[in-house]
Amino acid sequence: MEQPNPNPGCRGAEAVLNLGSSSSIPISYHPLFGSHDDIMLLELDEKLLPDILNQRVVVRGQPDEDAVLCTQSKTYAIKFVGNSNSIFLIPPSDQSDFPDTIVDPNEKDPNPQAVASVIKVAPGNMELVEVAPRLDKLKILLLENPYRSEEDTEMDLEMTERGLYKWNHLVDRVQASDDELRSGLQALSAVEINGYWRVVDEKYMDMMLRMLLHNSVLNDWSLEELGQDKVVDVLKSDGFPCKLAEHCLYVYGQKLSGGTGTSCMWKLDEKRVCVHFAREILRGGRKKMDNFMEEWKRKIPEGMEASLEMLEGEVLTEKLGVDSWVRPFSVSSLPSEPAKRFSMLFKERSKWEWNDLHPYIKDLTVPGLSSDGLLLKYTRRTQPTPTSEPVFCAR
Amino acid sequence: MQIQIKCSCGDKCPEWAIVELQGTVEVQPHFQETLQNLQIGQLCRPSSQETYTFTVGYHELTGAKVKLKKPQLVLKKVKHSDSERVELEVIGIIRQRILFKTRPKALISKPQPTVKGKNKVPDASAVPMED
Repeated sequence: MEQPNPNPGCRGAEAVLNLGSSSSIPISYHPLFGSHDDIMLLELDEKLLPDILNQRVVVRGQPDEDAVLCTQSKTYAIKFVGNSNSIFLIPPSDQSDFPDTIVDPNEKDPNPQAVASVIKVAPGNMELVEVAPRLDKLKILLLENPYRSEEDTEMDLEMTERGLYKWNHLVDRVQASDDELRSGLQALSAVEINGYWRVVDEKYMDMMLRMLLHNSVLNDWSLEELGQDKVVDVLKSDGFPCKLAEHCLYVYGQKLSGGTGTSCMWKLDEKRVCVHFAREILRGGRKKMDNFMEEWKRKIPEGMEASLEMLEGEVLTEKLGVDSWVRPFSVSSLPSEPAKRFSMLFKERSKWEWNDLHPYIKDLTVPGLSSDGLLLKYTRRTQPTPTSEPVFCAR
Repeated sequence: MQIQIKCSCGDKCPEWAIVELQGTVEVQPHFQETLQNLQIGQLCRPSSQETYTFTVGYHELTGAKVKLKKPQLVLKKVKHSDSERVELEVIGIIRQRILFKTRPKALISKPQPTVKGKNKVPDASAVPMED
């Protein structure tokens, strides 16, 4: 018994989705039915739709890496979720990739048969999980060739451009969104020279800073009000390129509001300068606390005050016998991926008190995991007595 | 390596449909190689409710149209012949599916127990909505 179909000739997905009451439609295999491995389903949050539909989304990764999907500012891991159900995919009738009728102009059928055709049985779909950007690779790439003083006078450009990375090379290799990549470059104090992103060798930065401080004393400049053009001029006369001189101010100072372009005023950042000198002093390894503090106070510029709190996340202090020792251990040298970070931390010390541990994990971000959650996942917390400090060790 | 996700849908992405059932549909061996154009079954909407039946062979499934919690995009991998570049193109969106979760009901006639005094009338086998 034939049931009335309100839309005779209605085919494809729209026929299924708009099937009227007391109606029916045959479901068939499409004339072009097949495995169609080039067709895939991607499940995503409604809020990501505008980005994808407006072509602001890109998949990044090397062939040997798990692919990630990047919007302007976030990174998502792409996971395939299999489904044991039979998922019959039915395209709309006017889907140009899969024409379901061979239209013969001589044989125009006024009542084409109603049918909905299945083009493929999907094995599952892909879904997105927000992840932290994978920025450790950025550090590795840029540390391949830090900018050194030899390059100041390097004439052969071709020689120097090998093993260097421009922005488009970095987006090709680093699994992070554009915004996250820029933040990563900033966190590394990277500088763009001739289109290439570089980190500057520590010795070089030290030379520039000392020259800046030396000239400040000579010219009686206040470290809280340094004129950009004056500083750059004096560094240039000592052989430092303009770009690097400006970078020195950027790394160790803060721009003061007001003023534009080269007439900007800068103030040196006490913490950044003091930390720099502490790192220089400890370059040779650990030192006794008393000796270290005395040398540190001597080396920092006039008018600045050094305090041990500044070195949180930079040094570890230990008591060996009657003496206190301090040794370098910088959070910036540790991996940004939580599992690896905790592994390194527990290799360094098997037990950590919260106050010591916190500076080395506070920069860790895992979308969807709070800092308590991180501790729960990667550490074992013990408290020897109810009143003592909690201690963390490896799981 | 970067793969751009392109979309030339404009305002509205063509909406695809999904009919989903548990288990697999078996094709008779005779037809294995020539699936194309073969009818799988009949999808019916018996009333104004969003309930549906899907009849495959002599099995009838009952299900409903449900809105997906999260939309799904249909992507097609496009390899350009002129370059090594691979692109992903959005060719559709799925917001609803017709999901069949029940055990199939076998549409086979069952003989009725005889009733005293009445003529035994064979039970009409359940027929699909459309011949």
